[in-house]
Amino acid sequence: MSNLIGTISRQVDSVIEHAKEKYADQMWMFDVQKASWDAVYHAHDEGKRLIYVGACAPVELIYAFDCVPFVLDMIPTRLASTPEVAARYIDLAEKYIAPTMCGIDKVDIGAILSGDMPDKPDAFIYSTVPCDNSRVAYPFICDRLGCPSYCIDVPFRKNEMGFDYMARQYKEIIVFLEKLTGKKLDWDKFQEIMTISNQTNDLMNKIADLRRITPCPLPGRLLVLNEMIPGMVGHPAMLSYLEAQYAIGQDAVAKGLGAVKEEKYRVSWLQNMLWSNVGILDWMERKFGAVLVMDAFGYQRGHVFRDIDDLDTICVDFAKKGLALPMIHGASGPVEDYIDLVENTMGDYNVSVSMFIGHVGCKHTWAAAKIITDMIQEKFGLPTLYLDVDAVDGRYKKTDEIRALITEYMETIEENK
Amino acid sequence: MSTETLFEKAELRNSSVKAWKEQGKKIIGTVCCHVPEEILHAAGAMPYRLRATGVTDLSEGDTWMSTFTCSYARGTLQYLIDGTFDFMDGVISSDGCLMAGRIFDNWKYVDGNAEKKEFYLKQIAAPRMNNENAVRYYRDYLDQMRTELGAYMGVEITDEKIRASVALYNETRRLIRALYDLSKSDAPVVSGTERLKLILAASSMPKEEYNEMLKDFLARAGSRAPIKNYRARIMLVGSALDDPEYIKVIEDKGGLVVTDALCFGTRYLWEPVELEGGDVLTSIAASYLKRPVCPRMVDLHDEFGDLIVNFCQDFKVDGIIYERVKYCEIWGGEGLYFGEHKGMKEADVPLILLEREEIMTNIGQLAVRAEAFIEMIEK
Repeated sequence: MSNLIGTISRQVDSVIEHAKEKYADQMWMFDVQKASWDAVYHAHDEGKRLIYVGACAPVELIYAFDCVPFVLDMIPTRLASTPEVAARYIDLAEKYIAPTMCGIDKVDIGAILSGDMPDKPDAFIYSTVPCDNSRVAYPFICDRLGCPSYCIDVPFRKNEMGFDYMARQYKEIIVFLEKLTGKKLDWDKFQEIMTISNQTNDLMNKIADLRRITPCPLPGRLLVLNEMIPGMVGHPAMLSYLEAQYAIGQDAVAKGLGAVKEEKYRVSWLQNMLWSNVGILDWMERKFGAVLVMDAFGYQRGHVFRDIDDLDTICVDFAKKGLALPMIHGASGPVEDYIDLVENTMGDYNVSVSMFIGHVGCKHTWAAAKIITDMIQEKFGLPTLYLDVDAVDGRYKKTDEIRALITEYMETIEENK
Repeated sequence: MSTETLFEKAELRNSSVKAWKEQGKKIIGTVCCHVPEEILHAAGAMPYRLRATGVTDLSEGDTWMSTFTCSYARGTLQYLIDGTFDFMDGVISSDGCLMAGRIFDNWKYVDGNAEKKEFYLKQIAAPRMNNENAVRYYRDYLDQMRTELGAYMGVEITDEKIRASVALYNETRRLIRALYDLSKSDAPVVSGTERLKLILAASSMPKEEYNEMLKDFLARAGSRAPIKNYRARIMLVGSALDDPEYIKVIEDKGGLVVTDALCFGTRYLWEPVELEGGDVLTSIAASYLKRPVCPRMVDLHDEFGDLIVNFCQDFKVDGIIYERVKYCEIWGGEGLYFGEHKGMKEADVPLILLEREEIMTNIGQLAVRAEAFIEMIEK
């Protein structure tokens, strides 16, 4: 596999060819993936600079400089569905790092070490979040890439001190990008992109509101795809994707339809998404009428740019947006952020089944699990299923075992109804 | 004063702790070495670095933090919960690593500790980059801590008090460096096991008393029997190591631990806080952030590698033991950086990676691996 991005891009093309016939009315889900991977794969052919990014990178700014952002963690989350491919990179990384580290970072590191990543990016903008694993992986990848880089130090708390600290760094990133591209920031273009970004966030919030309705009009699987939003926010293809999703959700609500014929359970997952086995969500819907209405990773309540004319406000809004991103919002700071996130999810989405589907690489969420699940028990009267999984390495626990454990739990719930 | 008296101060509930409490004074526990103890000292509190030394039961730690977390963190929480640290009047943590943060988080929720007004709880944020902007942010947190801690202690923590504390702590640092200097010779008069006890003592007693005792120890060190019967000179690097027994196993096999890059070793109190003419908290923030203490600092990996190389030269190190607590991810990937570091590659000092747990259940395995490594490197 000499060009990983090219391979993934071609895989997306094949899936689209297949889907055209079978799922013609659902092409909006595939189009956004194609737009994403094609942009990365063809960036240099099209004379654009390719910028790898980590969490909190100012994607709208990168677009404004006519560069292509690429969230590096999209590689592991994408490859997780093909365990044998993910395993290749994980095994390679484990030659150098602790096997207990997060699979996301192991795949990132393995991909870089393997030489399977194509053209060197023109820059790498990463950050000190979300966790200790990424703090190990990103600086190493940055050194290996040997390209210009900027690391955003993300504050521990989401308060004015933290916003100001980050805002000062976003101003430096503008200078960094101006130097990288040799161009001054094009404000007209930037404002155009910020406007799309705001529309995107607005739609994202409206879609999240639709999921509060019983029955939930949209399937759990869309929460996985929606994780792409932060990496493409400001791109017209992302806006189109969400417009289509919102229209379908509205239509379902108008007709009184849910994601499943008979919604019996409204489920929340409290930690990461299970990228290595997304099919579990479809199975839970079919088998138990249990719909994942919202999860603690996918929960997104994006901030918008309040004033697209004022740089100071824009930079503070970048900070607020960054700190509201999946994983950063709940798990990167004090535990109270995580508690609030889960409490909002449980309450806002009228959750009836709580599951801690715990990615083993995410130790700081495991270390807060008792606090979180005690709160759920106390405030919502719900017990929580604990299930250790590897969200990226499908070898850790096979589908049958995961299904058996969830089945056992769901049967207990049904018996105790 | 006997050496044993000083070693006794390494105990968790040592005589200095008892004496301090008998005077009605407060002890504040700290988690991670990014909490500047100087500010606590200036407030009149005794800073005490929390640890898990000798822990044999992790049941509470496991319950609260799960078994997918570092056992040092679980052990520290265990001691907070089971009453081992019942002499604490408060806990201040930094977000050194995510496990350190969760010790604090969980402790707050045990028995409603967060609601207990008589117990001081504070979590400060320490940046992970070393630059001007980061120093400013960190400094603001230290200022917040100064105000809140002062209110809790009922004192004003003035610049003058902090400067005096910095001077005292810089003296501790000087003495600790002198302690390590003893191990540069071919026949050191202090073992790695003993030295760790002396550092643990520093983290568990008033610095005024410690400085006097360490001065006395250093003055009499010349009369100690030189250690000549070792097979190799070892440097320890890696996760928080607070158990002298671990080092003893290595030394019993002939590997004399002459230096380290550990946060309960040279990385605890080494580089002096440089007080410049300006704002005292800015000076503390700048001094603390530029130290290569652990890989939590994303832009100090090179400096950490440089430090290891320099120590290898200064202490004539034959081999490095890189010990890593299972689930300590901050140290989990440092091998990548060791492999890339130009100086480390050139120095080519043999290195072995050993995974460990806080509970010393794998002594036999450690002994076998340490001995094999020593056999490989001994000259």
